[in-house]
Amino acid sequence: MCSACGFPAAPGHWTEAGSPTPHDRVRAKFRRAQVLQNVLPAYGLKAFDGGVIPGIQISTLSGSETIVRDLDEVWALAEKLSGGPVDPLDPRFIGDDDGKD
Amino acid sequence: MTAKTEGRIRLTVLGGYLGSGKTTWLRHQLHEGKFRNAYVIVNEAAETPVDDALLGQSTRLSVLAGGCVCCTAKADLIALLRSLCDERSRGLSDDPRLEQIVLETSGLADPGPIVEAIKADPVLVYHIVVSEVVVAVDALHALSQLTTEPLGRRQIEVADRLIITKADVAEEGAVKALLATLRTLNPLAVISGASKGVEVPLPSFDGIAPVALPDLANQPARPPIAPARLYIDDSIDWTAFTVWLSALLHARGDDIVRVKGVVRTPAGRLLLQTVRKVVQSPEILPEQGDTREDNMIVVIGRGYTPDQLKRSLKYFAGR
Repeated sequence: MCSACGFPAAPGHWTEAGSPTPHDRVRAKFRRAQVLQNVLPAYGLKAFDGGVIPGIQISTLSGSETIVRDLDEVWALAEKLSGGPVDPLDPRFIGDDDGKD
Repeated sequence: MTAKTEGRIRLTVLGGYLGSGKTTWLRHQLHEGKFRNAYVIVNEAAETPVDDALLGQSTRLSVLAGGCVCCTAKADLIALLRSLCDERSRGLSDDPRLEQIVLETSGLADPGPIVEAIKADPVLVYHIVVSEVVVAVDALHALSQLTTEPLGRRQIEVADRLIITKADVAEEGAVKALLATLRTLNPLAVISGASKGVEVPLPSFDGIAPVALPDLANQPARPPIAPARLYIDDSIDWTAFTVWLSALLHARGDDIVRVKGVVRTPAGRLLLQTVRKVVQSPEILPEQGDTREDNMIVVIGRGYTPDQLKRSLKYFAGR
């Protein structure tokens, strides 16, 4: 159990496999928040990771905030809050209008 | 069946849908010493072979990549089998006389046409006898595949033996319904269970009703499943890639049936594999071996072009 956030320690998410050392893990957390910030604002959401607690902080434009454990939970939360999944093949991400089949 | 081979090479065809666990099962069989001295042929529909990296146990192995042996690469398979027969007849090789071949088909292959092609070939018919068609069936995903993919049904219909893989992680009720459904599709096949290749017992399914499968012939055709290759260049780091892939699988997991490839990360070479929305824990591969295909990811699915995947990934990474 993490004393800061109360999450029990979970087996590592598959995305963490690329970070062998604690330094790499912290760096990956910052980078993950940065990448999420490229995407989530389009859905009215913000991602923040201060590197201190294990989770990712997701907030809405109205300021309500929640902490999720991993990327799977980020996408599930984004889908719930914005009414549809964050689709990487959405035309807004691939720069054309024939992205949808 | 072995008694009737008359000195011909026994060929085992190992099939099963994408990600059903063919390679995992075969790897364990080789580890246990089954298929001893067998020649292993691995076919992959995509041009980037991954499975051969997993099958290091086998001493004699060929990879047929870049086409499925039941259709586009059928001629390559026939040519390879003929050369194996030729070598054996001439006694050219120092290895023990070839008695058995294991052909692991791609997940998109229908084993039926492969068996037909071998039987129709005027040379091979005298040298090779198809001893068994083994089809791996994914206990977690097979039922949904069977309701939507005619290919999944054809694979099961031609099997002599069905291996229910991932039987230990699926719910018992779901496994029972799957078993009853498989029985209606293929009443004769021997059915056994496996977990990472190790045989496990299956629940009894007496009295369980099979799942009614819709008639696929009258349904509007969906776009065919096709492999796309995606190169992860140096501007894309592992973290950006994982954020992108996890979003892609969350949104499109039903259309992206398989992602495979070796990715270079600070932790080493990671073997990445997904089946629909399920991502396996990446396996760290040794540095040696063929590293030319590193960072080339194969995405098998429908509803996008390789170029769209690339642009989307670049957008996520902010490049």
